[in-house]
Amino acid sequence: MPETKILPFIILVAYLAAASLYPLQLRWRRPGVQHVAFGLTATAFALQSLFLGYRWWLAGYLPVTNLFSTQFFFSWALAGVYLYFELRYRIGAAGLFVIFVNMLLLISVMGRDAALPPLIPALDTPLFTLHVAFSFVGYAFFAMAFSLGVLYLLQRRTGTSRLPPLAQLRRLNEEAIFLGFACFTLCMLFGSIWAQVAWGYWFSWNIKGVWSFLVWLFYSGMCHAKFVRRWQGTGYAILSIAGFGVVLFTYLGIGLLLSSNHPLE
Amino acid sequence: MFGQRLWRFCCSLKLAIVLASTGTMVMIGGSLLIPAYPRLFGPMDQLPLLAWWRSLGSQAPSHTWWVPVAGLLLVLLGFNTLCCFIDWLLNLRSRWRKTGEYLVHLGFVLLLIGYLWGSISGLRTEGVRITIGQTIPVPGMSGHYLQLETLEPVLAKGRQIDIIADLRLLRGDTVLTRKVARTNHPLLQRSLVVIPLSFGQQVVGFRTLFPPLGTVHLTPGSRLEIPGGGELRVLAIYPNATRRPGGQVIQRGESAGRPAFLLQLHSSAAVPWQGWYLPSEEPAPPALAVAGVDLRPLEPLYRPFGLFTITLDPGWPLAAAGATSMLAGIVFALVSFYAKRRRGDRPEIY
Repeated sequence: MPETKILPFIILVAYLAAASLYPLQLRWRRPGVQHVAFGLTATAFALQSLFLGYRWWLAGYLPVTNLFSTQFFFSWALAGVYLYFELRYRIGAAGLFVIFVNMLLLISVMGRDAALPPLIPALDTPLFTLHVAFSFVGYAFFAMAFSLGVLYLLQRRTGTSRLPPLAQLRRLNEEAIFLGFACFTLCMLFGSIWAQVAWGYWFSWNIKGVWSFLVWLFYSGMCHAKFVRRWQGTGYAILSIAGFGVVLFTYLGIGLLLSSNHPLE
Repeated sequence: MFGQRLWRFCCSLKLAIVLASTGTMVMIGGSLLIPAYPRLFGPMDQLPLLAWWRSLGSQAPSHTWWVPVAGLLLVLLGFNTLCCFIDWLLNLRSRWRKTGEYLVHLGFVLLLIGYLWGSISGLRTEGVRITIGQTIPVPGMSGHYLQLETLEPVLAKGRQIDIIADLRLLRGDTVLTRKVARTNHPLLQRSLVVIPLSFGQQVVGFRTLFPPLGTVHLTPGSRLEIPGGGELRVLAIYPNATRRPGGQVIQRGESAGRPAFLLQLHSSAAVPWQGWYLPSEEPAPPALAVAGVDLRPLEPLYRPFGLFTITLDPGWPLAAAGATSMLAGIVFALVSFYAKRRRGDRPEIY
């Protein structure tokens, strides 16, 4: 399929153009620049959604079974989460980190095999689709929380008018954590039910299972920490950054460095 | 006064954060040992947790201490969460808007209790072999039986990708449930899960040349009328066996090789004779030779069998209730979150 090479490239170029315009908008503060940047991001996301939908239609299942597909889906989820915050709060350049990770993922899929293999029976269940989809959307929200946490610390240090005010960054961070936690809880629930019907146990002591529970426990703690004065604001931003470290290790670290029952490939 | 202070402590948010973060740190450190000691930690999914601890975990406490410590911290966290939930129930009139969040709390508590219950009194047996038509007792469920009706492997390029097993669960003679089980579609009956894993075939007898009668199928229980009068009964068959110097016949494996037949000869002229006959290794025993019995095994007779994992997890129904509560809680919390945002009703805590 030649479109598997060309389309991700076109999508990447659109995201790249948008990502270049956002910093310019920070400098010039012209609404027109932000509109164009937003339009490019929205167009890229629409193309990416169409491509994902097309591959879903071709395969007959949500294509998230190999590295090309999972990274492409994660990239789509990141862009979706960015657009969610952009549409609701006009965060503009505040979400650049998410777009940056999104582009890295798109670049990494370029040389990979985009084939759509027949689905093996073990993965042929809606529980698998829901498990993976909610997992990546949850990760995307946690990536956004990381970005907002870094910006919070930056804003606290610089007090610049180019970034959103601290109160807004804090509120957005809390929202990203809450939505990420909600999605990740759904991912864990569907994954557990799937494990029960596929293997007869609903919690696995495989390192991936343990760390997924740790991610859940960490972010459930964060959902509570916002009610503790000491952890509000700066503490919460630091936790968002640390939490994304746990997420990265769970998704990439374990997949690349250790053997688990959730291989990346 | 003390009672109130104790209750506030048990419901304390700070206690929850301390327990959760300590548990997280303990599990982060401990879990990194999992890939380093696969023989120690690998069987954790093959056994209920308590059975694993008794058989393996307790043998290497320097590597596994973190499992009971994390377990204790999680139990305390579960107790703290339960107290929070009860406290919310007691103040439901003023805090009903937090229904979603507290359903998640309840779900977590139920999941934790379900897991503990299953870990303590659960049972998991892997590689249970059932041949077609066979009925076996269900491990851990007295009076319950599992019957395999049919078995159909699904192959792709010579590799097994699935297996379809028609199973019946019986209590005594009563069929409780019937399920065509395959990958992701196990036989589920409350706390019992039966999953087809693989298949194979076992030698149950031999197609044998028996000169006076021609070709016969010999399996344990077969009876042959001998032309001169009398009857030959097949009591047992070893598909591959040898006779030791002392005369003892031992089985060498389950695949077909040099078979051994445990036979019983009844004839009106002599007293019944019983003994092993290894036609590929030795001439017929004198009693058989006199009766004109000369067996020549031609090819093995196979009967397919399925390999199953049978798990009995008494905590599963409770865990399923917990998952349902958590799912409902998440949906409620999301709806409530956006409703509050639309109303501008968002508590700012400084």
